[in-house]
Amino acid sequence: MTNAILEMRHVSKRFDMTQALDDVSLSLYPGEIHALVGENGAGKSTLIKIMTGVYRPDRGEMLLDGQPIQVHNSQEAQAFGIAAIYQEPMVYPDLNVAENIFISHADRGPFVRWGKLYRDAEAILSKLDVKLDVRMPARGLTLAAQQAVEIAKAISLDVRVLIMDEPTASLSAHEVSQLFRLVRSLRDQGVAILFIGHRLEEVLRIADRVTVLRDGRWISSTPRSEVTSEQVIRDMVGRAIDDFFAKSEAQRGELLMSVNGLAKHNIFSDISFDVYQGEVLGFAGLIGSRRTDVALALFGVEPADSGEITFEGQELEIRSPQQAAELGIAYVTEDRRSLGLIMPMSIAANISLPMLRKYLTRLGLIKQKEELAVAAEYQDRLSIRAPSVLVELEKLSGGNQQKVMLSKWLNVRPKLLILDEPTRGIDVGAKAEVHHMINDLAAEGLGIILISSDLPEVLAMSDRVVVMREGRHMGIFDQQEATQERIMAAAMGQAHAPAESRQ
Amino acid sequence: MSSEGFLLRIWRRFKSWEGLLLVVLVVIIATNAERSPAYLSIGNQINLFQLSIEKIIVALIMAFLIINAEIDLSVASMMGLSACLLAWMYERGVPVPVGLLLGLLVGVLGGLFNGFWIAIVGLPSLVVTLATLIMYRGLARVLLEDRSIGHFPEWFDALGQQSLVGPLPLAMIVFFLLLALAIVILQYSAFGRYVFVIGNSSDVARYSGVKVRRVKMILFTAAGAIAAIAGLLFAARLGAVRGDLANGFELDVITMVLLGGVSIFGGSGSLFGVFLSILIVLNLRNGMSLANITGHVQTGVIGVLLILSVLVPNLANQVRDTLNRRRQAGRPQEADA
Amino acid sequence: MRGLRHRIRPEQVRESVIVLLTVVVAFLFSTQIDNYFSARFFNRVSTSVAIIAVVAVGQTLVFLTRNYDLSVGSIVGFTAYFVGQTLTHNNEIAPLVAVLLAIGLGAMMGAFNGVLVAYGRVPAVIVTLGTLALYRTILVEYSDAQTVLTALLPEWILDLPRANIVSFGDVDIRLMVGVALVVVILFQLVLKYLPYGRRLYAIGSNPDAAEIAGFPSQRIVFLAFVLCGALSGLAGFMFLARFGNITVVAGLGLELSSIAAVVVGGVSNQGGAGTATGALLGAILIDLIDNSLIRWPEISEFWRDALLGLLILLAVAADAVIMNRLRNLWTRSELQMEAEADVSIAQEQGSHV
Repeated sequence: MTNAILEMRHVSKRFDMTQALDDVSLSLYPGEIHALVGENGAGKSTLIKIMTGVYRPDRGEMLLDGQPIQVHNSQEAQAFGIAAIYQEPMVYPDLNVAENIFISHADRGPFVRWGKLYRDAEAILSKLDVKLDVRMPARGLTLAAQQAVEIAKAISLDVRVLIMDEPTASLSAHEVSQLFRLVRSLRDQGVAILFIGHRLEEVLRIADRVTVLRDGRWISSTPRSEVTSEQVIRDMVGRAIDDFFAKSEAQRGELLMSVNGLAKHNIFSDISFDVYQGEVLGFAGLIGSRRTDVALALFGVEPADSGEITFEGQELEIRSPQQAAELGIAYVTEDRRSLGLIMPMSIAANISLPMLRKYLTRLGLIKQKEELAVAAEYQDRLSIRAPSVLVELEKLSGGNQQKVMLSKWLNVRPKLLILDEPTRGIDVGAKAEVHHMINDLAAEGLGIILISSDLPEVLAMSDRVVVMREGRHMGIFDQQEATQERIMAAAMGQAHAPAESRQ
Repeated sequence: MSSEGFLLRIWRRFKSWEGLLLVVLVVIIATNAERSPAYLSIGNQINLFQLSIEKIIVALIMAFLIINAEIDLSVASMMGLSACLLAWMYERGVPVPVGLLLGLLVGVLGGLFNGFWIAIVGLPSLVVTLATLIMYRGLARVLLEDRSIGHFPEWFDALGQQSLVGPLPLAMIVFFLLLALAIVILQYSAFGRYVFVIGNSSDVARYSGVKVRRVKMILFTAAGAIAAIAGLLFAARLGAVRGDLANGFELDVITMVLLGGVSIFGGSGSLFGVFLSILIVLNLRNGMSLANITGHVQTGVIGVLLILSVLVPNLANQVRDTLNRRRQAGRPQEADA
Repeated sequence: MRGLRHRIRPEQVRESVIVLLTVVVAFLFSTQIDNYFSARFFNRVSTSVAIIAVVAVGQTLVFLTRNYDLSVGSIVGFTAYFVGQTLTHNNEIAPLVAVLLAIGLGAMMGAFNGVLVAYGRVPAVIVTLGTLALYRTILVEYSDAQTVLTALLPEWILDLPRANIVSFGDVDIRLMVGVALVVVILFQLVLKYLPYGRRLYAIGSNPDAAEIAGFPSQRIVFLAFVLCGALSGLAGFMFLARFGNITVVAGLGLELSSIAAVVVGGVSNQGGAGTATGALLGAILIDLIDNSLIRWPEISEFWRDALLGLLILLAVAADAVIMNRLRNLWTRSELQMEAEADVSIAQEQGSHV
């Protein structure tokens, strides 16, 4: 066995509340495709960021060719031969392919020799068995082609360790095959590849070795020949669900919303499900499953292309967030900062925003007292920890910000509440409070769609679970049938997911 | 709200940019008053306002626009175009009141035109209003060419130059009314709240059901209307109109807004600060005139002031960030997963 | 068709459209104006275009990085005046020195802009709006409202506008035009062949990626402003040569013409796209319309600004709406490569996916 190029030894990293990595060790060998799997939040992206110099580990070390190294930024990582490709490739749209490949090079001489540039680019691409017109501007390239360019760029910089973070998330099956051909060819040239993916059958197809992380800890590393998908899934999810309280029995009411054959070109297709009053419908799936896109369609931000939505008995098209809010549909986004809240504004101002109309005098002035009273009510109800409702949001902790966002949408008096990763990045205590709240809301008769990548959470909180994968729905599980393994299997596309009949 | 909280808020206000402005203002006024004894007289103060009254009227709506993360470079041209239309109509025998209405209408149309390209087509406001700055000015010149139109009816000139209520001329009354209205709208109304929110993040605004396009359309149209009013008032005050009326006014207007603490990136600012900076610019210009500094140099000083009003907070932020980063070098960063 | 697609880019299509437009416009004007296609007109216009073209090239560099320079008019005015004054008082100064003086002065003024934008992180529009006023003020103060008089300038500079490189009958290719062409060609080459030029495109195209890749973005942007100032200085010298009499309003409005030329010429206001050639073509079209309107008795010359503004707006709108679609359509390039053969399937079926 040849020596490892890159070794991570006993790496730990903590962020405020969360232990993102706990004593993780990993070795990358040349000429090997090493797959890293784990749920969202298992620590994969943290590990990558340490490898590429974005973070520094609290404990542990990195060894390159047996020598300890410290990587402080991406340029240093590049100098060490470590490169990363992400789901969203970073190309220069106005420059052509050849230039994109070589733009970071400082050593190509005082003049750009276009002929040579094109030839060199073609040489690299042909080494990868890729045919691409190197004269084309990168703008029009498909995502797969852009990734190929990124890979070519890495090759041109003599990459030794190539990290690929969810590269296939937005690719079609055909494009994935093309990409894998590339990756194999890279491997055959002696590059060490760290491949992070969520589609189990893909991972098993491409990997030479599979490592599983869970909750920041290393669980297992197995050569491909010995790996089975059942074992991988079990390693990924195997933990007790006990620290989440079970949801109280749903008093299921009337049919609230019925979605039939909802589709958006290239994003999701054939989505059908029902939501009842008083029930929590969980949406499980992995990155790229497009659950958020479905939610955005229901909320009118990115309306669907086709399909029917029936809300409270009426068939409608939802074309704008305003319309959705007026209907009684609220969407609590996963991205607090850039989509959900105005950080420099006060708690009260954020809470009242969608419903500002209701707090106005006849002349259009804001009734401050009412606004503050409403905010104070929510502060109480959700235990938002802040000295007053006039405090700016940026001063609150993540958990409290989340609660403000919830308050904002609860204030809309929704009939259907769509929660997208409501407990992401908040502490255990706050999480429990949010779960309480969800319970209470369901008991009050709201229909709730809970999008979450936290499997135990989904299982504990949901009456039924819809599993989505790559824009398709893989099945709907009843509370009794839903187990972590079954859901994960469906989320990763394994055949034996029982396709559930709709109720 | 306890009284302690109230005092705390006043103190915080003072430590801020507005406090700085107040200090600068006091210094300028003191220097000027020392130089000429009649400085603080009502007559002089009114004169001080009058000389730039049209600019400060437009500054009010510009504040709204910049808070909304937009900009309108064409306001001075719209002022000129409205005034020129009035003059052109007058030249052809159209009665002044009708001319005034038409002048106002052309401002509204100009604003609508801007709003269309920015709010509906989605082009960047900088480039659009740069183009319309040229276009509207050009149209004004087409109307009046090289001529100067004057000899307006007496009542019109009187409106512009003489006191209307107490010692205050019409334009100043308009300004203070607009100022009051602007404060009420910006700080206390839903519309004002929307302006801030959109300026902070038009995505969050959209996701929260705010009608972003409508707000922008209203703002640009209002800018056109107010620019028109200011232009017509200017015509009344000057008693004559030329094709280059209000040429270059956008510099002063934008400076007043930015100096007042409104961030060029949108999302924050207060009219109190803008009012203070208006006072600063007015007193500064007046002081410079008293010191026999020519109009051109004054303009140069305003230009420097404009750059400083953005540069200084920037540098302060950079320094603060560097200090923060050094302090946190050991601390782990925020998780973003 | 495929082959054609490879050889011709949307930018080139756009440039061809401008040329076509110019021809059409010239033709239209010729029907309204007597002696339109005369050598005299050509000489006049070409000299005028030369000045704008030089400024437009500088503006292009700045635009590529997603910035604007509104102070070029003031830089042109000031350098024209300053050099004029200097020559008036020191008739013996060599021409080359005078030119270098203009360029150096312009470069300094550009550097001031560059420092504030690149290092002070003040938005370019604010900085150059401020320096637009500031530089003009400095000019007024420096000049003390005196005009630079033709009578007092040395002979050689007064003869400069008429100096020819080559003549075809009455049609002259003036020295100044030659200089402008050299500048355009030079920067066309810089933008195409020098790493610095390519980095300008990269920064404008994807500033975040450039940041991550570790480009010295600040230095690059700073240099762009310096070059723009230097070119404006050169244009100032040419301005001096052409007009002789320099008043304090010299160069007023040139920033708007240069932006119009650049935008019409296909330089994107969002950075990352455009060429010096495009700037030249835009300058030609703009200035042609300008000069033609002046000579058209029926239409007031004052329509030129109105038209200029409208042209900018239409060019930007057209770019936003049409060009982006064209670009995407044009370059949709399927990844041409073999898909991997799934080994197991291939073994079973002997086929190739």
